[in-house]
Amino acid sequence: MSWLLDIKYAFRLLIKAPKFTALTLVVLIGGLSLSLFTFSFLYAIVYKPLPLPEGDTVYRVFGNHNGHRHANVAYEILQAMQQEDVFSEYGIWQDTSVRLSINDAGKTIPASFVQPNMFSFSRTEPIMGRTINQEDLRTDAEKVVVLSHTVWQNDFNQDPNIVGKNIRINETVTTVIGVMPKNYNFPIVSKLWLPLPQQLQNIQPSSKQQYPIYARLNHNISLKQAEQQLSDAANSIYQLTYKQYDKEEGELSIELASFPIAQTDRDGSIVFTFFNLIALSILILACINVGNLLLARAIERQKEIAIRAALGAPQKRLTLQLMWEGIIITLLGGVLSVLLVGALLSTTDSIIKSALPNNIPFWWNWELDAPTLLMAIVFTLLTIFLASFIPAWRSANQDINATLRDGTRGAQSKKAGKLSRMLVTFQIFLISTLLLMGSVSAFIAYFLLNVDFGVNYDRTYLASFNLQKQEYPTEQQQRNFIQGLLTELEQSPQITNTFSYFFIGQSTLKIQTEKDINTLPKKIKTFSIIGKGDFYRAELLQGRHLSISDNENAQRVVLVSQSMVERYWPDEMVLGKTIDVMLNQQEQTFTIVGVVANLADGSSFYSDKISEDEMHLSGLQFSSSYPRIIYKYHDNEQEAEEYFYQSLFKFNRNLEPNRLEPASYSSDMMKNIAVIVAWITFGSAGFALLLALTGIYGLTANSVVQRTHEIGVRRAVGATDRNIIQLFLKHGSKQLMIGMGAGMMVFSVIAIAFQSFTENMIPPLLYVALITVVVTLLSVIVMLAIYLPTRKAVKLEPSAALRYE
Amino acid sequence: MTALIQLKNISKHFVTDEVETHAVNQINLSITQGEYLALSGPSGCGKSTLLSLLGLLDSPSEGTYHLTGLDASSLNRNERAKIRNEKVGFVFQSFNLISDLTVAENVMLPLTYQKGLSKQTMMDKVNDVLQQVEMSHRTRHFPSQLSGGQQQRVAVARALVNDPAFILADEPTGNLDSKNAEAVMQLLNSLHQKGSTIVMVTHDPRSAECASRQVEMLDGQIIRDSLITQTAAPISAAI
Ligand SMILES: Nc1ncnc2c1ncn2[C@@H]1O[C@H](COP(=O)(O)OP(=O)(O)OP(=O)(O)O)[C@@H](O)[C@H]1O
Ligand SMILES: [Mg+2]
Repeated sequence: MSWLLDIKYAFRLLIKAPKFTALTLVVLIGGLSLSLFTFSFLYAIVYKPLPLPEGDTVYRVFGNHNGHRHANVAYEILQAMQQEDVFSEYGIWQDTSVRLSINDAGKTIPASFVQPNMFSFSRTEPIMGRTINQEDLRTDAEKVVVLSHTVWQNDFNQDPNIVGKNIRINETVTTVIGVMPKNYNFPIVSKLWLPLPQQLQNIQPSSKQQYPIYARLNHNISLKQAEQQLSDAANSIYQLTYKQYDKEEGELSIELASFPIAQTDRDGSIVFTFFNLIALSILILACINVGNLLLARAIERQKEIAIRAALGAPQKRLTLQLMWEGIIITLLGGVLSVLLVGALLSTTDSIIKSALPNNIPFWWNWELDAPTLLMAIVFTLLTIFLASFIPAWRSANQDINATLRDGTRGAQSKKAGKLSRMLVTFQIFLISTLLLMGSVSAFIAYFLLNVDFGVNYDRTYLASFNLQKQEYPTEQQQRNFIQGLLTELEQSPQITNTFSYFFIGQSTLKIQTEKDINTLPKKIKTFSIIGKGDFYRAELLQGRHLSISDNENAQRVVLVSQSMVERYWPDEMVLGKTIDVMLNQQEQTFTIVGVVANLADGSSFYSDKISEDEMHLSGLQFSSSYPRIIYKYHDNEQEAEEYFYQSLFKFNRNLEPNRLEPASYSSDMMKNIAVIVAWITFGSAGFALLLALTGIYGLTANSVVQRTHEIGVRRAVGATDRNIIQLFLKHGSKQLMIGMGAGMMVFSVIAIAFQSFTENMIPPLLYVALITVVVTLLSVIVMLAIYLPTRKAVKLEPSAALRYE
Repeated sequence: MTALIQLKNISKHFVTDEVETHAVNQINLSITQGEYLALSGPSGCGKSTLLSLLGLLDSPSEGTYHLTGLDASSLNRNERAKIRNEKVGFVFQSFNLISDLTVAENVMLPLTYQKGLSKQTMMDKVNDVLQQVEMSHRTRHFPSQLSGGQQQRVAVARALVNDPAFILADEPTGNLDSKNAEAVMQLLNSLHQKGSTIVMVTHDPRSAECASRQVEMLDGQIIRDSLITQTAAPISAAI
């Protein structure tokens, strides 16, 4: 039981040095909590299997057409899925949002149209009543709905007799048939489930609609195999039929992604890796610091260890003896970190969920789960290895002779000095990389916060629709609906402006040169609008607005963006000019009647407003079944929203907007996330900087102290204070150069990747400026960390320095 | 002959844990050019402390110290460093070579702190003194690769490289066996013969016999100071 004695001894040592113990604990808890929290938070978003029975076999199925996901090829995918036996179950759904009316008030709730098998697919039984069945799908069936636990609890006070009652959804009387258990929101954020409408059940080959698909992979097939089989099948169907149904040419492939991965749109794993690497580097910094603190204590005990070794204590025993202190303190730090991270996770969970009640996928649950605990163990073991084992092993491995022989400072201190220099270099490397990346992310956050979309979001709402072919077969009917709704909305004193727009596609410009006619490669985003959108975006700069007289029978007209004028006709009068445009593979001629302000490129946050061109056509000449309606309210948001629904239901009781939300919603979300990420990055970078500072200072101070004797010798033979300080600074600058050089190399690689990721948003000069600032800052810090202890050591009389052990 | 070193009522006190030690107590001593002084006395009597004061490695608590006529107490840190560099050569019991530097670099160390010496001049001087101590075959070795006697000879070479006005040696043979000790003593002897001024601390009466003057200390004070007029016989004769 000798190790019990060792543990006791280690405990006593720790208690006897409360300052050391507290400092070490703070550093440990900081490093461990940060990496654990980062891991757990991101793991829950990106990799955690769905919280459903056999959640790991659940996938979403995407078509990948010419490199774009979300290709509108539901028919081909479903055909392929029927042909190939790779899924045990699958189905489609459609997300929507519905208006739930309770007495006179109403609220908008995320919902899904689903197939009956969705509930069994997710292996979940209702806590009351039943789920949707085949009968409910019939057009003439009674309208039914399944409630989520949240709706049942918040809007119906957990009414135990709710099943069978009638409620109003989109102003339609609907019967509640069941209630699902708590936290069930499959497929993503649904709070209500409605039967999939008839017209969605039979997807035609001509359909260009997009349907989300859920599927469970068979156990006997691998992901890659399944993707291959499905891709082959779907592609052969596509190649036979795409011309017939007027679809774009190209290869079709099929991709499977877990729900979390699909939700983060592939950036998830990049973000996960990136932030975990940063957190891990910070943990390593913490380990170096703790290791250094423990090593300093081990050095104090060097003589004791040498005597023990001389008396015959075996190597293993000595290592372990030295390690106990570190092990005890790391375990303690590990346990405290787990408790802290647990508290942080549950706070984060409740803050995020109360801030965004309708937008959090149901699998985003932050808590101390098994993977987090497992990771806590891994991180703790890593810390023990880096911070306790290595220093202890080194001390126990010392040259006994060298330590016992008095006055001889041999290879031992030389080795220790080398290690400490390497650690300083490594810390400089880590912190310079972290600082550089931190400042780039700060810049991006700043940019995102101040990004100008060319849109005035003030008091505006956005509604988007999906007008079904069955109900609105002709373009005229679609236009009538939109125009009617806009006119109706404007009747309300609460609504001041309205307009509608939709994205038609990318078009290209044909330009006549002296020799021949060229189609310019640059794509132009082409919208179609009804009404005056000035109040919201694309302010009129020259010419006139589009009006109701720009209809099917009139000449085709266009408003072009300022950027186009500057690009193609810088010195010309553009009003009245005619241009030839390739739009949806058709050539058409338009007359420019106005010039409008530029828009930001919606496909990317980073690109400049002027880098993209836009054209706005008349919605009465080009229509779409996916219109968006923007309205601006006077002062009462609620009233305006209520009025919107009333107006809508006047036209169509069965039509509900896919979404209705403040127009700024998406950009606000993005900005909020940017702010949160910026703060987390800032906090972590600050902590890392603190760790690196204390670490670098500790190491250099320590190595200066260890070289006190050498300083004495040098001074005895005539070195001045300046000589000594210069010598140490020179050695330090070598480490600085190597560390920062390596840091900048890594950073350059990251910066190049970053540049392509952000589409060259950051001017290269900024990188130079950042590097200059970071290099100067770090140089000053490191030089001070060397200068201060050296000056102190130099102040000692040489005779005292020579006596120094 | 003018005194090279002149101590008047020099004292050095150390205070540790409120206990005051008078390591050197009211010492008067003058040393002239070309003297070979052997300092002896029981352990703890203040020999090393006195040597530190002589070599400007420490400042006295009281008294005045004139070195080549200069008042040492009026010198600032840089001037003291300059004197240590140009006028003093140290040999320590524990060699005090820097382990990261090679033999040649260790010997060259005092020269690197002087201004205006070309690399070639320095190398020539280094080679010259290494030849004197018979260590020219080991210039690229590190101290840890040398025997104790070899290390001490390198240390002597380092003390000689700057042509010091006087050499201070604190038990230079203390860590050496008799054969190596003899070699080092002969080295010092021949230096003395060439005119160097040497102050050497030693416990060994035979080593002391080579000196031209013997000073004995006790409790921080000089209790005996005797001049040996005749040049001592080589140490080998005494054995
Ligand atoms: N830096 C110091 N702090 C406190 N006391 C000191 C210090 N240096 C020397 N002393 C004390 O001064 C006295 C003289 O020390 P010194 O080293 O000069 O002795 P010494 O004659 O050289 O002895 P030895 O022959 O053992 O080397 C001793 O009692 C010692 O403890
Ligand atoms: Mg002594």
